[in-house]
Amino acid sequence: MSDTVKKKREDQTAGEHGKCMLNRRQFLMYSGATAATASTVSITLFPGTAKAEQAKARVVGYPRKLVGKLSEMKDNVPVTINYPDDGKNSVATMVKTGVKCGGGVGSGRDLVAFSALCTHQGGPMLGRYRVVDEHRIMGSCPLHLSTYDVTRHGIIISGQAYESLPQVLLELDGDDIYAVGMMGLIYGRNQNLMES
Amino acid sequence: MATNYYLPEDSAPLPPKHAEVLTTACDYCIVACGYKVYRWPVGSGDGGPKAAENAFGKDFPTSALQEWVAPAQHNVVMHGGRPHNVIVIPDKDTQAVNKTGDSSMRGGLLAAKCYNPKTPTRDRLTNPMVRINGTLQPVSWNFALDIAAEVGRYVIKNHGANAYSVKTFSYQYLENTYAIKKYARRNVNTASFTFHDTPSDVTSTPGFRDAGFDNFGPSYDDWGGADVLQIHGTDPYETKTIIYTQFIKPAIERGMKTIWLNPRETAGIAYAKSKGSDQTIHFQLTIGTDTVLMGAIARVICENGWEDKDWVNNWVNSKWETSSGFGQGTRNTPWQWRTTWGMFQLKGGYKGYSKWVQSKDEYKVENAAKICDVPAADIIKAAEWLTNKGQGTKASFGIEKGYYWSNNTGNTNAVSSLATICGAGGRPGQVVGRFGGHQRGGAGGGSYPRNKSPEKRPGRRRRALDTDRYLVSGHTRFAHVIGTTWIQAMTGSQSLYTKFHELVLANPNQVTSYDKSEIIETLKRRADSGGMVVINQDIYLRDPIGARFADVIFPASTWGEEDFTRSNGERRLRIYNKFYDAPGQAKPDWWIIGGLASRMGYEGFDWKNANEVCEESSRSSRGNRKAYHMIKVAAHREGKTLHEKMREFGTTGIQGPTVYNYKTGELHGTKRLHDTTLTEADMERMGVTQGANMTNKKMTHFNSQTGKVNIQKHPWKLFADFHEWLSPKGDELWFSNGRINEIWQSGFDDVERRPYVTQRWPENWVEIHPDDAKARGIESGDQVMLYSDRVVEHKDTILGVHGDDFQFSTLMKNGHLKLTKAAVTAVAIVAPHLKKGMMYGNMLDMRQPNNALQNRVVDQISGNYNYKMGVAKVKKIGESKYKKEFRSMSWAPRNVI
Repeated sequence: MSDTVKKKREDQTAGEHGKCMLNRRQFLMYSGATAATASTVSITLFPGTAKAEQAKARVVGYPRKLVGKLSEMKDNVPVTINYPDDGKNSVATMVKTGVKCGGGVGSGRDLVAFSALCTHQGGPMLGRYRVVDEHRIMGSCPLHLSTYDVTRHGIIISGQAYESLPQVLLELDGDDIYAVGMMGLIYGRNQNLMES
Repeated sequence: MATNYYLPEDSAPLPPKHAEVLTTACDYCIVACGYKVYRWPVGSGDGGPKAAENAFGKDFPTSALQEWVAPAQHNVVMHGGRPHNVIVIPDKDTQAVNKTGDSSMRGGLLAAKCYNPKTPTRDRLTNPMVRINGTLQPVSWNFALDIAAEVGRYVIKNHGANAYSVKTFSYQYLENTYAIKKYARRNVNTASFTFHDTPSDVTSTPGFRDAGFDNFGPSYDDWGGADVLQIHGTDPYETKTIIYTQFIKPAIERGMKTIWLNPRETAGIAYAKSKGSDQTIHFQLTIGTDTVLMGAIARVICENGWEDKDWVNNWVNSKWETSSGFGQGTRNTPWQWRTTWGMFQLKGGYKGYSKWVQSKDEYKVENAAKICDVPAADIIKAAEWLTNKGQGTKASFGIEKGYYWSNNTGNTNAVSSLATICGAGGRPGQVVGRFGGHQRGGAGGGSYPRNKSPEKRPGRRRRALDTDRYLVSGHTRFAHVIGTTWIQAMTGSQSLYTKFHELVLANPNQVTSYDKSEIIETLKRRADSGGMVVINQDIYLRDPIGARFADVIFPASTWGEEDFTRSNGERRLRIYNKFYDAPGQAKPDWWIIGGLASRMGYEGFDWKNANEVCEESSRSSRGNRKAYHMIKVAAHREGKTLHEKMREFGTTGIQGPTVYNYKTGELHGTKRLHDTTLTEADMERMGVTQGANMTNKKMTHFNSQTGKVNIQKHPWKLFADFHEWLSPKGDELWFSNGRINEIWQSGFDDVERRPYVTQRWPENWVEIHPDDAKARGIESGDQVMLYSDRVVEHKDTILGVHGDDFQFSTLMKNGHLKLTKAAVTAVAIVAPHLKKGMMYGNMLDMRQPNNALQNRVVDQISGNYNYKMGVAKVKKIGESKYKKEFRSMSWAPRNVI
């Protein structure tokens, strides 16, 4: 096994994830497409600050949840999952987009998942995945027409929302797809991890 | 986190039960959604997820449309000198505008606007500053005000009042604009005065003025109350979002037909089109040809006799009425000062119009289809829809800048006439108006001294002074700039910059002393030597007006930092409550003006608080569209102040003009202007005839000499020569610009200072049609150069003598115009939602203003710029970093439904 492949595998294990969640978050937000195929490179933007510690403590609490099998995912056929729990507003959409995506996992870096509630006013986004040429779009929201870019961490394309669509962080363990964290606050919650 | 990067957070505090709740409205676009501010001291405990634990009284997680706090809606501010949490979210209880608590992205991020040194707002101006040895240095208020007042007074005395130029926002609250106008127009009395969006103080919609339509007569309900809504030069989803989502979209769902004039297709148009061609027509017309399209639709209606006969018989000025009124006819309208009425006046009422429009070849359907590059069948279909083939329907007409800043006079004349023959103008769901840009915060503090203007169209009457041409001519010795960039906001920005540089920085008289009297003497010498002194009031240091050119900087306080009042696009007046301390020594503009005015020896500027200014200003609002004088009358009778009374109206506010019934003690708002359905009994019930109430004809009639509509010609030939000259040659493309939903009337503080907006739109960008991009080897994410050597500009301030002196081809022939070069760079976005042959950019990126490529030639009748129609070449100069990374921007089309 080459070093690159080995590193990649490590990057996608649960243990690795729990250890460096913060770095994963930064990795997702700051790495380019070229770097995305690489590695566990950790970019520490705000080293040694109290903020960093605090953030780390919070994200570590996310559950590691089995949400599907890679072999069962077909290109551009979204499936519905629940994360981080099965409670209210936990519904999310997981999709293998066939194009490289920010935060995507799998050999094509194209498997991603997002909360299915519009961050504007909680409009239902299930069934709103669109393929337009090379673009992958979530929306429009049936309430007020917001659209989000699935390839770019759920950033708003056009519309009303003031936060990106929260991205469910995924990792692979062989054929198993695990959801392991969440970037952004789910609509209707004051924190993603709520007591049931 | 103290970063301009957007880092998605996964929690947000909830306001506790003990949080104070204040109301405000959004600071940005015309719609002015209602918001609530929750405020509680840091460390006093946040709210919990159970209904009993939070100020909303809701169990979390909440459901769609209920209260929710996004992380970016929380901030920490100083209030009474102590740190407080604030949450700013749309008001779920509001009875008007954004019912159900709808909001735009701009408004949704209002909390991030508040000054907090941990956020990208840390560069707010907090101290008065004076430039010494090239560096802006903090000084005391007295030091800065003494210098500005002394030099200003000197310039007025020695170079005349017109040498003191005031360029100001027109909208940033009644209290401020009243003080500014009282100072500049009543006391300085300069004709070199104008607002942020025009080189001279003239009407934005000359055709509306002459027809008798108020820009903001309609209520928002009217936009959803039509059977057919024709929308010109805008997609309201992009640029007055909540009018679209709360009024237009539900109406489309009920079956309202829409007709769009827009070369670009964005989400609001795409949604309408998703209902099929039986409900939607989209004219993707060639830029600047709207007048022709309107003429063609009108011609089909006239040819077929489909006009609203009752309406044109009762409400259109006849041959005699057109010339009636004190023996001067329409010269009582602003036509009077234009001395151009022969170009537009129709003496035969509707019949005269019908005859005229049918006599013009360009308005034949097949010719118009060719000029505008739209299907002829759609022109006929539009005429059928707007009149139901003469069987009657409710048609409304809404315009915005893509339309009235393309052929300012012609387009606004044309829509007025077409709307009138369709029976629109003065009934519910049958209205004509602007959708609106900024909010309406202008208050009268003094009238514009037009007789002091040296500008004149051919004929007798004067036109307001063009402050750009006057400055370029070297007449301006003192530039007082308030809350605008001036340079980037005007067309031909780059050569305007060059002139500022020459007058200010290239002048040898630069301040090198710490001594106040020496500083004053230096600046006086600069003015005397033909140079220019610049003073600037703003909330951030703007480059270049503040950062490079200003000699004195005054830090202003703004939204949330002072009690202010203002109205929205349906004349709805609200108070915007102060909820936190202004940063450092920042002061409201009315206070700064007061300090200057008092030092210059003007009286009546010693206000103690914002309410005093507002109460003084109310009298000047009588008779205008947002008249609020009677609110003060009611307040005083109840022993309250005007601001206290306004506070009672919360986010619902009250629509101007306001009427007070002395007998019942009730205040009444006015749903729409020109309301021909309003009866005498209604007026009696409101109390219109009692006491200090004052109404004029705009309440129940139109703003014309008779109260009926002036139907007008809309001659294409006034504009056709310019359009032909400008049309792309060789490798050029049309280059238009405008707003996008995410940045809209908010660019003055969100683009650079809201991590999420910065991430979405980090740089200047340009949309290019796929065919045009491919031909030039351009892909999304490429860095491109937009450039032109055909930016045409006025050389000087000139007087019109002969009839066609201001016609473009005559100006060109007589050598009054020159061609300049300009270039800006941008990140390319290949956009299939554009018409082929055009590019579209952001209306104003302060770093690379696309206005640099727009022509500095004014509309020959009105004096406005046509900002929306330039041409440019485009070439790839490299790749931006966004091409390969996933964090920022997006190349996805904006018309996906």
